[in-house]
Amino acid sequence: MSQAITSPTSVNGAAENIYLPKLAVLDRVSDDIPEVKTFYWHFEDPAEQAKFKRFRPGQFAQVSLFGVGEFPASLPPSPTEDETFFTIRTVGSCTAALHQLKPGDRFAVRGPYGNGFSMEDYYGKNLVFVAGGIGLIPLRSCIVYALKHRDKYQRIQIFYGAKTPRELMYVPNLREWQKSAGVECYLTVDRAAEGWDGNVGVVGSLFKRPGVRVPVDNTIAFVCGPPIMFRFVIKDLLAMGFREKDIVSTLERYMKCGVGKCGHCCIGVAYVCVDGPVFTYEQIKKLGEDI
Amino acid sequence: MAHKLTTCTFCGVGCGVYLEAVGNQIVGAYPSMSHPANEGRICLRGWHVHEVASSPDRLKRPLLKKGGQFQEVSWEEALGFIAGRMKEIRARHGAEAFAFLNSPRCSNEEAYLLQKLARAVVGTNNVDHGTGVYCNNSINVLLDMLGVPATTNSIGELARSEVIVVDGVDLARQLPTIGGVVIRAKLAGAKLVVIDSRRHRVAESADLFLQLKPGTEPTLYGAMAKVIVDHGLMNQPFIKAHCRGYEQFLARVRDYDLLASAEACGVAAELIEAAALAYARAHSAAILYSTGIEALDAEPVQAIVNLALLAGQIGREGAGIFALTEHNNLQGVCDMGMLPDRLPGYRNVGSEAARAELGKVWQAELPAAPGLASRSIFSDRGAGRVRAVWLCRYDPVSSAFFGDAANALDQCELVVAQHLFLTETARHAHVVLPTTAFGEERVTFTNTERRIQLAEQIIEPLPGTTPAWQQLTRVARDLGADWRYESAADVMDEIGRVVPFYSGANYPNLAAEYGRQWPCSKDRPLGTRYLFAEGLPEQGFKFAPIARRPQAAVASAEYPLTLVFGHSLYYWNQSVLIKHSETLKREYRILLLDYPEGFVEMNPADAKQAGIRDGEKVRLSAAGGSAVINARVTPEVRSGTVYVPYFVRQVQQQVCGSAESGVQLIPARVAKELA
Amino acid sequence: MKARLLERADVLKLVDLLRQQGYEVFAPFAGRGRDTWFDLVTDENRDRIQVHLPNPYYPPKRFVLPHIERLLKVRQHDGTIQVEPTYRERKRAIFGIRSCDLSGIWHLDRFYLGREFRDLYYQKRRENVLLINVVCTDPERDVNDECFCVCADTGPAARDHFDLQLMDLGGEFMSVAGTPAGEAFFAQPMFKPATPAHVEKRRVILEEVRKRFKTTTSWFAATVRYVSQGGILEKTWEEIGNRCLECGGCTYVCPACTCFTVSDRQVGPNEIERVRIWDACALSGFTRMAGGFNPRRAVHDRRNRRFMRKLAHYFIQRELTMACVGCGRCAAVCHGDVGMPSVVEMIRRATAATDKIPPS
Repeated sequence: MSQAITSPTSVNGAAENIYLPKLAVLDRVSDDIPEVKTFYWHFEDPAEQAKFKRFRPGQFAQVSLFGVGEFPASLPPSPTEDETFFTIRTVGSCTAALHQLKPGDRFAVRGPYGNGFSMEDYYGKNLVFVAGGIGLIPLRSCIVYALKHRDKYQRIQIFYGAKTPRELMYVPNLREWQKSAGVECYLTVDRAAEGWDGNVGVVGSLFKRPGVRVPVDNTIAFVCGPPIMFRFVIKDLLAMGFREKDIVSTLERYMKCGVGKCGHCCIGVAYVCVDGPVFTYEQIKKLGEDI
Repeated sequence: MAHKLTTCTFCGVGCGVYLEAVGNQIVGAYPSMSHPANEGRICLRGWHVHEVASSPDRLKRPLLKKGGQFQEVSWEEALGFIAGRMKEIRARHGAEAFAFLNSPRCSNEEAYLLQKLARAVVGTNNVDHGTGVYCNNSINVLLDMLGVPATTNSIGELARSEVIVVDGVDLARQLPTIGGVVIRAKLAGAKLVVIDSRRHRVAESADLFLQLKPGTEPTLYGAMAKVIVDHGLMNQPFIKAHCRGYEQFLARVRDYDLLASAEACGVAAELIEAAALAYARAHSAAILYSTGIEALDAEPVQAIVNLALLAGQIGREGAGIFALTEHNNLQGVCDMGMLPDRLPGYRNVGSEAARAELGKVWQAELPAAPGLASRSIFSDRGAGRVRAVWLCRYDPVSSAFFGDAANALDQCELVVAQHLFLTETARHAHVVLPTTAFGEERVTFTNTERRIQLAEQIIEPLPGTTPAWQQLTRVARDLGADWRYESAADVMDEIGRVVPFYSGANYPNLAAEYGRQWPCSKDRPLGTRYLFAEGLPEQGFKFAPIARRPQAAVASAEYPLTLVFGHSLYYWNQSVLIKHSETLKREYRILLLDYPEGFVEMNPADAKQAGIRDGEKVRLSAAGGSAVINARVTPEVRSGTVYVPYFVRQVQQQVCGSAESGVQLIPARVAKELA
Repeated sequence: MKARLLERADVLKLVDLLRQQGYEVFAPFAGRGRDTWFDLVTDENRDRIQVHLPNPYYPPKRFVLPHIERLLKVRQHDGTIQVEPTYRERKRAIFGIRSCDLSGIWHLDRFYLGREFRDLYYQKRRENVLLINVVCTDPERDVNDECFCVCADTGPAARDHFDLQLMDLGGEFMSVAGTPAGEAFFAQPMFKPATPAHVEKRRVILEEVRKRFKTTTSWFAATVRYVSQGGILEKTWEEIGNRCLECGGCTYVCPACTCFTVSDRQVGPNEIERVRIWDACALSGFTRMAGGFNPRRAVHDRRNRRFMRKLAHYFIQRELTMACVGCGRCAAVCHGDVGMPSVVEMIRRATAATDKIPPS
């Protein structure tokens, strides 16, 4: 054989099958917003569970519904929380199959994959989270993590909006964050409904509310949401003076392997599953392809 | 591992493909570099042709409906049931109660035996193939005007055509390999003229793109003929020596006016003129049109042949008419006589001499009256006469856009379906017979350039399945006919005795090279590359005078757009074979996933004017009714035209008020539908 | 140089030896015309092995990355699930693999075994594959019109990545070992020492063969620069897209293309297999996400992607190999003549006109 290739990650020599998912059990399911549910689960093998729990905010896992397929799912829990769960909207055959499962049913998971947010690098900084709709799912992990390490960060602001009040995600968490003294949590909806007395307008409109002061220096802005919201929020942040490398986001692409081999998630020069899914806006601009 | 050359059985190109088998599984497919039809190229379907056979949905045992449910039964029981019911029905209602329909994807052997079963054993001419409703126009016109119902040249010759005219066929979607040949010919210097109301992929490479209003082909061709005549570019020696009916044709051509025609067609007069002059002046020019899926009415085909005769563009290398068949064996099943009014070899069922000759070989007396076509059968079962339908690999419930196949079948006393899978149609059957798939049997198919080719057996058939032609043989024997065919090769030998231009096409001859192009007879065993090479028939060609039509006012202020219905451009998206291949399923399903309730295609300018964005719900209205549907905005569609694919039935019914369709042009309007 | 000589008559004896040693040997065979393929050597076909013939178009990458490969077998019953990975570990020897294809396998090695994760399926196949390279020496029979290995610097004689290399010197074959596994064969008496005269003969033959390629200018350099700088005009991609018929062929035949899709299929009442199948970024569904968003909906965006992956400097640096080996297969199977050579030419012509970077 030609000269052997050594890989930086196979240092321990153990032959690991990167495509082999590990069995998981569904514990319980909770309904969130229409078409979205949260699935609480754990690995059958406690050792796998322990290994997995060392994931970083912003990473994802590949979820297998045998016979249907596999799909990537963000990890909304913080590694500091006890339970592991996914929050999934039903869009295709795999997610639909997951939505059919009942507690006690088995499926399979492999991961965690991706680079995740470097929350330790942000110690000492202000954190501004801007999320739209189900974009809150991946950011939730960072927010909970940051709040768990509250003393490591300066100001923490959350700006979150959904189309209607019924479509706000993680309402118990939102209530908690609004009540918490260490967090500034601002909510908005595009269209008001009965009982809503909060802000009405797009997420960006929250920046202009009286009394809202968004720190720019020594601040990291986390942005996650639908493409249109993303574009407008980036414009607003840049106008405020944020540097491109201080704006971070998480990108989504069709994925099949999650480990940088199948090629589907490539954007320009990056593989979303290994070089991302977390990218700074500076990196996004340099990818060489439109997102 | 085995690498065997075979013929791809998706579309009418019949590309040479190698299949690799390991054990009893086909694991790979790749093109033959030297095959004269494709020369190393195949399309996405060909690259995945090996995936279909191994689908887990394959039927493995005959199914018989008992108490409304299908039960697996033995072959004896299934075939016995069929023969028994057929005898009963024939005794009670006569031979005309039967209809035998197949798919244009059936092999020559299956097609031949199916129509023989119908004619020689049962006694009816109710025989047709799935695309009969459109394709038979071309057959009749070509037989009438040229004497031969097929493409006159070979695909490879397009590389030597100076001018190539592509009329109304989206080559990239239907016959990609020919699309490639045409594009490469253009790159090498040929002049490419595309005539189509849609701006498809190959049109992007056109030198002259005549994006005409739908349905105006005869006017366009009439104008082109006028240009040629006005410039004195008609091929007088050719016309004089080989054509009849020129004077009447000329008289009608004189009625056309270039400018008026340009206005009627919506194409600039200079373009029409340039196309006509290029065509007539070329040393060798070819015209390509579709006979199958995107088929034209009879008049446009006549107009095309007229043009070719006028310019004398027939009977030379690179010069001729390509009557393209989109399905892999559309040519073959027609050659085999799966037509209600023609016997194998195209002789008329009404000809006593033809019936006598064939009857002698088949040892039977053959019915003289032309039979019912598939369209009639699926509309009203031939006014209720038909009570038993035999479907060979045909899935009209999914793919026919005329009539109501499901309803018609439900009213029959006997429906026999032969197929690989339990298709939508099979669900309406009384008996379902599982057949062998591509690669599991050795049979022949005839491609669009008249090339009779072998598709080889690469692996053992799925246990439980048998070749369709064998099933037909067994039923015929159960009905008392003395059919003896040990192999498909035996069937081809008989075909050779019955169809003169197949008389040399026995299996050893076909296997010697890359099949043979007919006429392939005993004294022409190597086949015929292009027709009339040895000489054009004296006065053998005929012009068809086409009167200039007064311009029908299609559009009005209330209904400013022309709605084109039922054009089966997206045929492959519904094909059962596509659904059983991972990659093909993904690619072809996108359109259906993006627009799950179907769509109406609109030009971007028209959409913008109406304030409509891609994916939005719109109301499509015509005089007969209206429907709500999603808009698909695409630059492919001509401004002023909207297009609804054939499988969106409910829209058709709501807008037209009936289930009938064809290439209809309906004045319509589109407006945004507010929630 | 540890070069040896092999008599012409002994070349096939080497194949016999490999089979005796328990290898499944694949060698080139010829069919009709220019149809050639690698097939399993059996007693029946052994004498029909051809050493000089057009390079088979079905690429030998399939011996390490199959067209369809089963990854997992999954059995589900009584609420339990058993998941079993399935590997293929039989020894194989690819006899007669060309130098361009060796570079392709080298590229696949770096991609699948290097980088962040190591692909165990690929590794097991690769570890069990012996590569016996045959140098292209016959301009008439070995070299196709579309070949351009001299531009990609991958041939006609590979400098590395083989276990054993054979080169036809006319009378006898010169053999060079690339690995200890290859060198082990030199213990066989059929291998005799070579002389400096033979080495000189080799040099002369290679020089002659290089002259017989249709294009020998190294036109990648400019194109890599244009692609890497994002300087290619949108209308060039549109032109390329207009000629592409989205068949996927270029990707399937490319020795250096690596993409695949993964699919679950039912194979029994309670059994499923998860397979991976070659996939192509030429296809619209390659990037379409559930829900409908497709970042590369337009065909010219997909063509842009392909050639960026093949030519951008970033990727070459990432894997330390270029993802084009100059085999010419993509040109041979392309309907619209937008294989690598044509596209490179189109890019150079279109972009050179706008190239404002002054020579330094």
